[in-house]
Amino acid sequence: MAQVPPLPFGPAAGPNLGAVPLSETSIDQERDVMAQPGVKADELAGAPELGFWRLAVIRFLHHRVATGALLILGVIILAAIVVPVITGNLYSVQDYRHPYKVPFQSWQHILGTDDLGRDEFARLLRGARVSIMVGVLAVVGYLIIGGGLGALAGYYGGWLDNALMRFTDIIISMPFLLVVIAVTAATGGVRLSTVIIVIAATGWFEIGRLMRAQFLVLREQEFVQAARALGASNLRIILRHIMPNALAPIIVSATLGVSGIILLEAALGFLGYSIPPPEPSWGNMLSEFEQYLLSDHTYLVIFPATALVVTALAINLVGDGIRDALDPRQR
Amino acid sequence: MTFYVVRRVAIGIFLLLLMSAIFFTLTRVTPGAPVSVGENPRIHQEQVNRRLHNLGLTDINGNPYSIPESYVRYLGALAHGNLGDSYLYNEPVTTLLMQRLPNSILLLGAALVVALAIGIPLGIYASTHQYSKVDMTTSIVSYIGVSIPSFVLGIYLLLTFAVFLKQSPLHWGFPLFGMHTGGVDDPLDLLIHMVLPVTSLAILEIAIFSRFMRASMLEVLHQDYIRTARAKGLAMDRVNYKHALRNAILPIITLVALAIPQIVNGAIITEGIFSWPGTGQLAFQAVVDRDYPVILGVVMLVAAGTVLFNLIADVMYAVADPRIRY
Repeated sequence: MAQVPPLPFGPAAGPNLGAVPLSETSIDQERDVMAQPGVKADELAGAPELGFWRLAVIRFLHHRVATGALLILGVIILAAIVVPVITGNLYSVQDYRHPYKVPFQSWQHILGTDDLGRDEFARLLRGARVSIMVGVLAVVGYLIIGGGLGALAGYYGGWLDNALMRFTDIIISMPFLLVVIAVTAATGGVRLSTVIIVIAATGWFEIGRLMRAQFLVLREQEFVQAARALGASNLRIILRHIMPNALAPIIVSATLGVSGIILLEAALGFLGYSIPPPEPSWGNMLSEFEQYLLSDHTYLVIFPATALVVTALAINLVGDGIRDALDPRQR
Repeated sequence: MTFYVVRRVAIGIFLLLLMSAIFFTLTRVTPGAPVSVGENPRIHQEQVNRRLHNLGLTDINGNPYSIPESYVRYLGALAHGNLGDSYLYNEPVTTLLMQRLPNSILLLGAALVVALAIGIPLGIYASTHQYSKVDMTTSIVSYIGVSIPSFVLGIYLLLTFAVFLKQSPLHWGFPLFGMHTGGVDDPLDLLIHMVLPVTSLAILEIAIFSRFMRASMLEVLHQDYIRTARAKGLAMDRVNYKHALRNAILPIITLVALAIPQIVNGAIITEGIFSWPGTGQLAFQAVVDRDYPVILGVVMLVAAGTVLFNLIADVMYAVADPRIRY
């Protein structure tokens, strides 16, 4: 049986970084690669020129559930970007003659209309846009704040490290939702930009901690010493040598972070602390669920709730697929 | 050990102070005055001033306190167990909290117990039967569990059981501890009413516990001493449940402490949805009405609880695992 060579973590990796004790992991690794239908083991083992990321993509694509989830997610994102451009302001056009149109009855309003006769499908997609935008932008914030501070704290240690850990202790012991609400309220209310900034400013600590842990381990590695001995500056060591090796778990955490933020934004919208009502978001579409529960219009509750869950589930599955693809040892 | 506990308590108190300072400042810089009736010309300015003074916002002459000044006053009151008065209910926040806390503890405690009782055995079974059907099902359920917020699950459950199947009451506006009378007098009725909210709160924790338990167990099962135990010819059950489980279950202690703010997070909206008269519903209403003293009180309560439980978890950890020395 061909042995799969230990994977170097990223292009700048030192030789011993991927050298995990083979006795424990080789079986899993082998099963991992061998189990992939359509990939010959020789092909992978005998092709060392395939880079880490190429290999990861191949592994990801052979993970059927994750690929399916990625497809669904792609459709949702594409629809959220493209369809509102075509339909224009359909999501806000009110039609008082046709409120509560039943879904799946006409092509004109495929998912029916809401209490004001607005097209439910257009509103859902507009809401998807809000959710995805908040999710992606806030995660970028996580990466900038958490990634940056975590890297510095892990690399230099000292007071920054202490401050980071104490901040995490505080955040972790608070009900996050109330924190975000209080900060949103204090910073002048319910604009989408505020919501994004507040979520990014309060939620980055997980990625920060992860980055710190990565840097703590990696800065002691021999390839870092080698770089230092060659006279590389701290900045160069951080950005060129350690960062590429630290990225794998960060990418996974960031992906899963997007779904967490989307759910958080929905909870905020539900409480009326996200984008205000004329503009639809899945959270604020759900916030009037009580008046629909006992009516014939329960679809107005079911659609946004399901859209939310499907999107979050798809993102989580993709995130897990990425985790398996980047680090098969963790399975 | 004693020194460690004292140090942890000191750090905990410091954290709480820091947090209260941050939160207090946030609630004070928020726009919107608590006495908006002040804009009503028929209400005399003197009355408005008295109201503001009674709320601890201004001194006797109607001059507002500065933020540091009022924070010190807040802390002084806190030392006497006074969290200020609610803007909305015109009652001390502590009274409101104490009225509702038992209901919340009942609900959250039940959710936690259910999550532990289901999540941990599920995780253990999944790890000892890796890639089996139960393992696959567990991971599917845990994917769904982390992807569905408790309030959405609550809405789904209400739709399914109360609306479509008409099997459970839609609203839970019924008496509980200290609210009116009854409630505890009819345990069966209470239990029936608890099923849906407990389910929607527990599912996330079931997902987290079972996932964590599976990973922790698998890690231990790959250790050398487990192989030794098996090589000696010990029965699999004995190896799994006596040698492995004891080590694998330790980190769960910490996880339980961390689960508390998470469950509270879920409870804020879920209690509101199910009209469960608990602290979460109080916070939910306070958020909707922007009743800041109540929000602040709930945050402080949860934070204090979390700090306390983290401390207990760490101490228990040291007791359970003699290798740990502080």
